[in-house]
Amino acid sequence: MKLVLSELKKLLPGLPVEPQQLRDDLTMIGHFTNFYEKIDDEIIFDLDIKVNRGDCLGYYGLARDLSVLYNLPLVLPNLPQLNFPEYKLPILVTAKNEVKRIQAVKISNLKNIPSPDWLKKFLEFHQINSINTLVDLTNYIMFLYGLPCHAFDTAKSGDNLLWELNSHYSEFVTLDQTTLKLKPGILMVNNPTTPLSLSFLGGQACAIGLKTTETIIEMAVYDRTRVRLDSRFLKTTTEAGTRLEKDLDSDTIPLAFSHLIKLIIDLCHGQVSSQLFDYYPEAIALPKIKFDPQKPSVYSGIDIPVDFSLNVLQQLGCIIQNELVTPPSIRKDITLEEDLTEEVIRFWGYQKIPTNQPISNTILPDITPKIIYLTEYVKDVLTNLGYDEIRSWPLTQKPVDPNTVITTQNSINSEYPYLRQSLVQSLKVQLDQYDRYKLPAPQFFEIGKIFSQKDGQYLEKYSLGLYHSNSGQLSADIQALSEKLNAPLSPLSDGNFSEIILDDLKVDISNSIAPAQNYHSYELTSQIITLDANVNYDSKQNPVDLINHYSSLISPDLLWQIVITDVYHDQKTNKYRYTFRVSYYNCDDKTAKSTHLSVFNLL
Amino acid sequence: MDINKIIDQITTVTSSEDLEKIRIELLGRQGTINQEFSKIKTAPNPKQFGADLNNFKKQIKELILEKSKTVSSETRNLKLEIKNSDFSLSKIGHLHPITQTERALNELFKSLGFSIYDGPVIETDEYNFERLNVPKNHPARDMQDSIFIREPQYLLRTQASAIEARLLAAEKPPFKVAFPGTTYRNEKVNKSNHFVFHQYQAVVVDHDIAMRDLIGTMDLMFKTLYGPDVVVRYRCKYYPEVEPGVGPDMQCFNCHGTGCGVCKGAGWIEMGGSGLIHPNVLQKAGIDPKIWRGFAFGMGLDRWTMAKYKITDIRTLLGGNLAYKPNSL
Repeated sequence: MKLVLSELKKLLPGLPVEPQQLRDDLTMIGHFTNFYEKIDDEIIFDLDIKVNRGDCLGYYGLARDLSVLYNLPLVLPNLPQLNFPEYKLPILVTAKNEVKRIQAVKISNLKNIPSPDWLKKFLEFHQINSINTLVDLTNYIMFLYGLPCHAFDTAKSGDNLLWELNSHYSEFVTLDQTTLKLKPGILMVNNPTTPLSLSFLGGQACAIGLKTTETIIEMAVYDRTRVRLDSRFLKTTTEAGTRLEKDLDSDTIPLAFSHLIKLIIDLCHGQVSSQLFDYYPEAIALPKIKFDPQKPSVYSGIDIPVDFSLNVLQQLGCIIQNELVTPPSIRKDITLEEDLTEEVIRFWGYQKIPTNQPISNTILPDITPKIIYLTEYVKDVLTNLGYDEIRSWPLTQKPVDPNTVITTQNSINSEYPYLRQSLVQSLKVQLDQYDRYKLPAPQFFEIGKIFSQKDGQYLEKYSLGLYHSNSGQLSADIQALSEKLNAPLSPLSDGNFSEIILDDLKVDISNSIAPAQNYHSYELTSQIITLDANVNYDSKQNPVDLINHYSSLISPDLLWQIVITDVYHDQKTNKYRYTFRVSYYNCDDKTAKSTHLSVFNLL
Repeated sequence: MDINKIIDQITTVTSSEDLEKIRIELLGRQGTINQEFSKIKTAPNPKQFGADLNNFKKQIKELILEKSKTVSSETRNLKLEIKNSDFSLSKIGHLHPITQTERALNELFKSLGFSIYDGPVIETDEYNFERLNVPKNHPARDMQDSIFIREPQYLLRTQASAIEARLLAAEKPPFKVAFPGTTYRNEKVNKSNHFVFHQYQAVVVDHDIAMRDLIGTMDLMFKTLYGPDVVVRYRCKYYPEVEPGVGPDMQCFNCHGTGCGVCKGAGWIEMGGSGLIHPNVLQKAGIDPKIWRGFAFGMGLDRWTMAKYKITDIRTLLGGNLAYKPNSL
């Protein structure tokens, strides 16, 4: 949400802090502020409002918080008492479970005009296009109080507005002339013949224009779940919908709605031509919460004076009687003693809680499942045997056994709908990748879950998958693993791949094994290029010296691996020929070849 | 084909390389014996010709095998020397970077007396949401787009907190537990997004747990991961499963707090979520919140691991082009 500093200062005229400080203070009390920027002599903040603070999707709610933080009075607009004429709006509400409160009024003899500059600018800062004064004022009030409101052109809609759940309309045309397909049960505002508006989005049928002279304006709070479901079904997100999906305060409507009426009369010169329609069948029942003023100290772990606690709650608008605290209706998020405690601590300051007192290292009974010890042990054994660990997607393209495979219902990665039934599937994908990058002689393993279903039950087991380019060595390594685990292993083998279900093993992991060391891994961005070179010597060489020598001649940024693959003594010439295999990376073929020829004097 | 000459060649050869040359000349795909086989059709007695040729081929193979055991023992010794030398041609294997991160955290928490825990990947709505104080149609569910197995009851867990819900239901306090958890959300896979996330979470339930314990423990964790000079702030933050909620932010490593593209101008990077376990969550697990209090915190491991290992594409973490440079001398 955007926050314009000058607008905030209308509510908090004495706001004493610099923008940087305000940004940090807002963040610390729970309204994460990404940044602020200066545009046309205005300071604009960018805030992430928490989903439980619908009240702070408006300046009013934020200003209430800041008035407590800075101990400043909140200054509300001076709103004159309105005189409403006799005419009663013929509004009907049949969606009684979905509508919490509506206020509506008719205003006539309007002169709707393009918006004044201040209003256009305000909306521009909030990334809303200016339409005309009447429409822009409804948006302005929404940003100010966090309460969406709407204006109907009664020349098009008539006065007979009906809040109902859709039962017979199949389409709805929005203000921007998008046609939405409706379903029964969507909360709408209609007249007897035409769909006019959704709860969170206005319609083309009653759109306000510069020729509009009569309007019904309304402000409402709905059942947030209904709005959320409708918005999701129609795949439509609006500023109004974002607010109406939260717990909004019906009791703030009179203040916000009066402000809207005043502004319309001031700027569009109309007159109120109906009684105030106020549908509010069930006033909010405010909770009474038992509160121990010591709790903020107990929960935070630091001393917070009782006076401070009580003062904060009072400044927030809570009514405190004996040990019972009644939060203000605008604070829907406060329902428990813990909520009140958080209020006190956040205004005391999280930054006052020490950061150097971690929990004691008292040993409690070890409840680590055995499978965790086993998987970690197996990883150490296999890395000691030269295997690299990989991790892979748990979703696959094809089932191993279609009768037991588990299928995802809604994965947007729809080409991978199945949960893997074997790690070999994943290892093969990995091997394809390594082949593509020409990785020399890979040997790798994965430990992860595999999935199946039986008799309607979902099963998942830890499995070990192995690959070695030499199947004989793979068998020998599994035998070595078996000896370390003191248990016979019965792997499922598929050529150079093997798989062992770990959950089923009865093993002994008391054999010591060196823990795997931490090494850097690399993101392969180009193929590995492997080249051989034969070098003749007059005498036998120390292979370590040879490797060291040639390694030092190649940039570490290019050298992936160097090994001696063969040695041959020609008895006729008494020469010793060593064959080197060098793998280069981070370079193209040409660079690898020229480096290779130069290093081994093959030019 | 002069059989005697061939046998003579094999018996007099002195090096393994020359023996290999002879083997290829005789037994290779284009070798002499295969060429002889192509004459079967034109031979006067094809059956006898084929049988004789097969016998001869078998004889040659045995002869070469026998000779290979004695020829050029020096060369074989040299090869053995390379294999057994201090320069080991055998590889040392590597742990996946995420595993390395998880292990570093496991070790830290084990040193503080924590157990390590685990839970199912296929979760129920109850454990993934309901028990964590996120009822149906709660806006917080929008933050976690689920991959369903059988909607609405079964899904792939969207948060490691689901393991916390299992833990709270299964174990009796007091306990201190940490756990890595792979989680899944319905997101398109591209260079910077994945549907698989790696998270790490710690949960403590005991008497008299306070935010001081939580913040002190988290700070120790961040210093372990990022070094002693890391700057972390702890602020008020909302998560349905905790109250009060705490959000740790790390000062941006790139701009040191002034604001840049990495931190989206904030100067700080959000590092996860935490707080004192919500009394509703304890209650749903049958733990009396009047007797027990707890803290929980969780963080993502992917970004941190990518930064440490200079990995630029998140897809690299799960298969694909992640490789380990072989150990050097």
